Amino acid sequence: MKKLLLTSVVAVMVSATALAGCSSNKNANSGSDGGASGTPVNTASASDNKAAAGNIFELGSKPLEFTFYGNYDWYTMPNWGDDLATQWIKENKKVNVIPVQSGGDAKTKFNTMIVSSDLPDVIWMDRGPDVEKLRAADLLVPFDDYLDKYPNLKTWLGDAGINMLRSEDGKLYQFPNWYTNQPNGNSGYVVNKKIYEELGSPSLETTDDLYNYLKRVKEKYPKVVPFESGLAKDGAALDVLYSAFGEDHLATFVAIRGVPQDGKLTSIFTDPVFRESTQYASRLYREKLMTQDALTQTRDQYKEKVLNGQVAVFADSSPTEFGDIGTVTLKAKDPSAGYIMVWPIHKPGLDKNKIWPGTYGQLGWNVSVITKSAKDPEAVFAFLDWFTGPEGQRTIFWGPPGLYQDGANEDGFAKFTEKYVTDHENRDKLMSITNNFQWNGNTVYIDKSKAAFEASLPEESKNWATKWQAEITWKTQANATEYVNLLPAPDSEEGIIWTQLDDMFKQVRAKALMAKSDAEVLSILDKAESDAQAMGYEKLQTFMTTKWQENVKKMKGN
Amino acid sequence: MSKIIANNNIVPKQRTRTGAITYFFRQWELQLMVIPAIFFIFIFSYVPMYGTLMAFQNYNIFKGFWQSPWTGFDHFQLFFHSRDFWPVMRNTLVISILKLAIGFPAPILLALMLNEVRKMMFKRVVQTITYLPHFMSWVIVAGFTISILSTDNGSFNILLHKLNIIDEPVNWLSTSEYFWTILVSANVWKDIGFSSIIYLAAIAGVNQDMYEAAAIDGASRLKQMFLITLPSILPVIIIFMILAIGNLLNAGFEDILLLATNPALRDVSDVLDTYVYRMGIQTSRFSYATAVGLFKAVISVTLLTIANLLARRSGNSLW
Repeated sequence: MKKLLLTSVVAVMVSATALAGCSSNKNANSGSDGGASGTPVNTASASDNKAAAGNIFELGSKPLEFTFYGNYDWYTMPNWGDDLATQWIKENKKVNVIPVQSGGDAKTKFNTMIVSSDLPDVIWMDRGPDVEKLRAADLLVPFDDYLDKYPNLKTWLGDAGINMLRSEDGKLYQFPNWYTNQPNGNSGYVVNKKIYEELGSPSLETTDDLYNYLKRVKEKYPKVVPFESGLAKDGAALDVLYSAFGEDHLATFVAIRGVPQDGKLTSIFTDPVFRESTQYASRLYREKLMTQDALTQTRDQYKEKVLNGQVAVFADSSPTEFGDIGTVTLKAKDPSAGYIMVWPIHKPGLDKNKIWPGTYGQLGWNVSVITKSAKDPEAVFAFLDWFTGPEGQRTIFWGPPGLYQDGANEDGFAKFTEKYVTDHENRDKLMSITNNFQWNGNTVYIDKSKAAFEASLPEESKNWATKWQAEITWKTQANATEYVNLLPAPDSEEGIIWTQLDDMFKQVRAKALMAKSDAEVLSILDKAESDAQAMGYEKLQTFMTTKWQENVKKMKGN
Repeated sequence: MSKIIANNNIVPKQRTRTGAITYFFRQWELQLMVIPAIFFIFIFSYVPMYGTLMAFQNYNIFKGFWQSPWTGFDHFQLFFHSRDFWPVMRNTLVISILKLAIGFPAPILLALMLNEVRKMMFKRVVQTITYLPHFMSWVIVAGFTISILSTDNGSFNILLHKLNIIDEPVNWLSTSEYFWTILVSANVWKDIGFSSIIYLAAIAGVNQDMYEAAAIDGASRLKQMFLITLPSILPVIIIFMILAIGNLLNAGFEDILLLATNPALRDVSDVLDTYVYRMGIQTSRFSYATAVGLFKAVISVTLLTIANLLARRSGNSLW
């Protein structure tokens, strides 16, 4: 008895594991709640006057030390000051950050810290219900009084973005990461150049072209996977294919399980675009044109195939990562091999310039919050704001001034030194460490700095991913900011419906992919629709529609 | 060792006259050694038990245990009426019974076979190889099960293809019909060696004179196995059987979670523990998860008691 009880209780605590991690950068649609509904914005900007009286904390004027916790299973913060970049900050700005680690089990750690009222000064986490929970329990420090005193966030994110991030009470509690106001993202199709050329470089524009091409690959190259899907149970290629069957049909619609129609969210299961794309994907799987491991493979298996050139076409939400390494690996053996990207595939008859395989969100990926445990929250905010500003970004990205970057050029963007090019091995090493300190990434600053520099390089030394980002992916990602934070809190009635629906959706999608015929795909989706309605799908969609419309209003209002 | 135990077995019979306290102090060294274990069990097994009360309230981590509202049996009702209840119970029982029917006798068989091996070197090598997988975590075992059975580059498919048994790779991991077989095989492979250790130890304790006598009477090795070895280790087998029945609702957790990666397999793979994990933990519905866990515990205790009652008839019960 005791053992069994213990087991169940411990299981409850211990297995809280996974989840929180691996949110990657599909975030534009993942978060929820956060700071959406309710009160009109802008009420807070001049609200409390008590702290407004001047007194700006100047970074470096006195030592600042705070604890930092990254709420992800996969995240381990490296020691502050062990690398050149943070060492420089420690010495010149007198800032020391003490890591609090998740130990691979973020959810448990997070809950334990709340229960024992032992919160770290800063928590780095996903936007959404967890932030809202902390705020509702009055554990977070609002930033409104600091925004004007430390202007970087306001300058780079803008008021519209700040308003989107505000909580129900009209105040701002979250410091965003990788926020942006220009398209970014890598979603799209990557094609094996060698196979493509050997097959006579046929046209690859429509879904029919793709289907015929895959059939030819299967005939000629029995050992090659014609279409690699990535981890299809998380969406991956299936989401990308969805976009091919409808103009302005964003992958986000699949993620929020709702398709906007006349200002309302409607069922995904009855969406003709979803139905057609699911049939198409199912046909690829059935005829063994898509990898049969689509639903079971690990990321390593997927990577192995791409790196071996064993894949003819692959699509994913960020295929540039493997496309880049794959090209380098294949080129080492055969200079004519490698991967190229193609313009997003579309269903015949659609406008190819209205096909969006990926999305980006102005609010970026995740956020940092300052808890009431912080002794001097203003100083912490001052640091975060400096960190997201030009000097902070240059330092944490490319090391201390004088090494790979040396201050700003006339446009304010990073000025790179010669070492940046010649010493790329050590540079990459440094960057792979400081990568883990990018808590307040300023996308526009970083991308513009890189793009300007990359443009000055000769064709052959351009980075593979940067090249295709400039030529294709950045032009084909849609803005999905209005769809962020739609999810209900998990313990609310709508939240429970969402959980059940989400759970069912994953199962339905897998079953539909493995269906024996196109007709079976439709019958699976029809059954899903009636099951979903029985769960209360409509009620959920009404809730999400309200939140979405609030977002639209906030974005227009500013 | 066996002498000490034998002596202790005799002592209790005199105890009634000398009194419990005197008896306690007479063996104070032994009692001293038990104390840490009692503390351990008390702190880690009994103290956390108050947490199961969570099942009867809407637990809120900010309000804490004392301020959360009470809801009675709501969470239990929610579970019993959910459409997942019957499929989950069915999978739990089927997987569990399969594991019991195949996973329980397997180590006994291995132990009996190893006992017949006369070459010590060979016996030790086999023993080491079979018990090592027990120490690997399921993450690793599932990792290579998946890569061995995958369709692209999976070694098992390549092997079958080279042997001309199949023309096209079989999609082992996504076909629901194969799932239980894969799961049970992986379990047997992982634990057979380790579980057989206890039986080997029991076999080693069998009086060698009996074999000698049987051999003189002309019993074959097979006869000796069935008439001497098996009956001699029967008490051990029965004790383990009782424990296994008490564990019947523990159909597995990590193994299923890691092997059934394809959501389409859920019809055959979802068991109580994975259900608790998905519904409860992933969405922070602590109370609901605790209710399902408590339900499982109650059933398990009942099963254990029944199994023990049955075993008492053979004189080998736990209590």
